[in-house]
Amino acid sequence: MDLLFWAPVMCAGIVTGASTGLLGGYIVGMRIPFLGICVAHAALAGAVFGALAGLTGPVLLIPALAAASISAVAIGLIDPQTVRMDINVILGILFSLMMGMAFLGLGLFSIYGVSDNEVRNLLWGSLAFCRWRDVWIMVASAAVELIFVAAFYKEMRAILFSRTHAAAAGVRVTLVWTLFLLLASLVLTVNFETVGGLMIYSLLANPAVAASRLVRGYGRTLLVSAALGAASGFGGLLISAATDLPTGAVIVILSSLIVVLAAAWKKTTASLRAKSCRQA
Amino acid sequence: MSPHAIEIDDLLVVRGGRTILAVGRLTVDAGEILAVLGPNGAGKTTLLKCLTGTVRPSSGSVRVLGQQVERLGAVALARLRRRVACLAQVLAPGSEMPLTLREVVAIGRTGRAGLLRPLGREDWRRVDQWIGRLGLDSLAREPYGVLSGGEQRKALLAMAMVQEPEILLLDEPTANLDAFWREQIVATLGELHRETGLTIVLVCHDLETLPGGTRRVFVLRAGRVIAHGQGDEVLTHDRIAELYGPGLTVLRREGRYLLAPHSQGAPR
Repeated sequence: MDLLFWAPVMCAGIVTGASTGLLGGYIVGMRIPFLGICVAHAALAGAVFGALAGLTGPVLLIPALAAASISAVAIGLIDPQTVRMDINVILGILFSLMMGMAFLGLGLFSIYGVSDNEVRNLLWGSLAFCRWRDVWIMVASAAVELIFVAAFYKEMRAILFSRTHAAAAGVRVTLVWTLFLLLASLVLTVNFETVGGLMIYSLLANPAVAASRLVRGYGRTLLVSAALGAASGFGGLLISAATDLPTGAVIVILSSLIVVLAAAWKKTTASLRAKSCRQA
Repeated sequence: MSPHAIEIDDLLVVRGGRTILAVGRLTVDAGEILAVLGPNGAGKTTLLKCLTGTVRPSSGSVRVLGQQVERLGAVALARLRRRVACLAQVLAPGSEMPLTLREVVAIGRTGRAGLLRPLGREDWRRVDQWIGRLGLDSLAREPYGVLSGGEQRKALLAMAMVQEPEILLLDEPTANLDAFWREQIVATLGELHRETGLTIVLVCHDLETLPGGTRRVFVLRAGRVIAHGQGDEVLTHDRIAELYGPGLTVLRREGRYLLAPHSQGAPR
C-alpha cells in the first residue's frame, strides 16, 4: 500500500465518518434523516450552478454552502404546525425540489456543451483522490461542529427530545435550531464534496441507528455514533485499499452491516436478560 | 404591579374567521388552583397557549406574572417561560435517541441555566430530588421511550417541577391513563400544591382529575365562557347535564369531585 497516497485518504475517511456520525446522532435522534439528504442535494444544486458559472475546484464550496445554508434556513423557518405538515413531508418536498434543480443544472451542461465531470464527482464523491488540503477543510468543519456541540449541548438535548417541551422550558429554540441547521449545511457541504451526496446519507443514518441500539443516554450515543462513523469510513477505505473494490460502496455496506450487528446484539442481550429474569 | 399571577382582559382569538376563544375577564391569584373545564374544542388548550405566548390573541390582553405576554419578544418570552411550566396534553413522542428519564427531566433546568452554561451540580441535585419525590428513582437510568404512559407523565411532571416554576399549566394531565395512574397523578398534584403553594391552571374535561385544593372553576364551551365561580356553585346538576349529557350528577368526596349516574347520588 502506498502510504503517501493513502494517509490523507484514511484521515479523510475517519474525519468524515466521525463528523457525519456525530451530526447523524442529532438528525436520526430527531427522526428527520431526510434533512441530511435534502441539505446535501441543495449543496449539489449550488455546486452545479456554480460550475455552470465557470467556478472550479475548492471555490465550488462557496455556491454549494450558500445553497445548503439557504435550504437549511428555509427548513428552520417553516413551522410544521403552521403549514400543518409533518417535518418529513416538508423535507421530502424540498429534497425533490433540490434534486430537480441539480439535475436541471446537469442537463444544462450538455445543452451548453460543457464537460460536467467535476460536478458528476460530487454525486459519487472522490474520497480516494482526497488530498491533505481537503482533510484540513474537513478538520476545520469538524472543529466547528465540536464547538457547537459543546456550546449548545444541553439545549440540543432538549430540542432532540421535543421542540415544544424545549420551548416550554424557556429554551431559545428558534435560535439554537437555526444554528444547528446552518452547522448541518456546513458539515454536509464540506464532506459531501469528498464522499458524495449518496454515501453521506448512509454515514449520517447508519452509525446513529447502530449507536442507539448499543448504548443509552445522550452523550454516550453521540460518542458511539461518531466512533462508528469513523470506523465505517476507516474500515471501508482499508477494505477498499486491500481489495480494489469501489470505496463508496464498501463504506456504505460496512456501515449497514454495523447496524445489522448492533440490532442483533441488542436483541440477543435483551433475550438473555429476559431469560435471567425468568430464572430469578 | 398586579396582585394576580394571571390576568386576562377581553381576550379574543379568531382563526379563519371563526372565534376560537372569547374570554371577558379572568384572574388567577398566586397560590390558587383554577380548573378550566369544557368539552373537546371548547378552547381550553388555546387558553393555555395564550398564557405561554404560543398563540397570539387577535385582541385583548394576557398578563402573566405582571408581563403582557402578547407584547413580549423572543428573549423576554423565553425568560417568562422559565417561570411558567407547561405540561402539554400530548405526550412527547420522544426521540429516536435513547435519552434516559434523568436526562429528560433535566430538560426542565435547561432554560433556567441559560445559554452557553452547562447544568451544574445544583441543577442535577434538583433533578434527582424530583425524580425521587415522584417515585421514579428505579427508572432514572432507563430510556424514556420504554416507560409506560403513566411513568412518562410523571417524568414530564418532574421536568416541569425542576423548573421551579411560579405557575404550573397542565393540559389534560391524566389523558389516556388508567384509574391507577390517574389517581397517582391527581394525588401528586394535590401534594405539590399543598407543599409548594404553586399557582396551578388545570385544563381537563374529567371532574375526577381535579385535585382536592381546587376552589374555582371556569367552564368553556365552543370558545365562550358559560360559567365561572366557586366549584360548588358552578358544578350544578343542570350544568353537568349541559356539559356531559343527561343521566349524570356530581358528587363531592373528601374535597374531590366525582361524576356518577343520576340514580347513585342525590342531584345537587
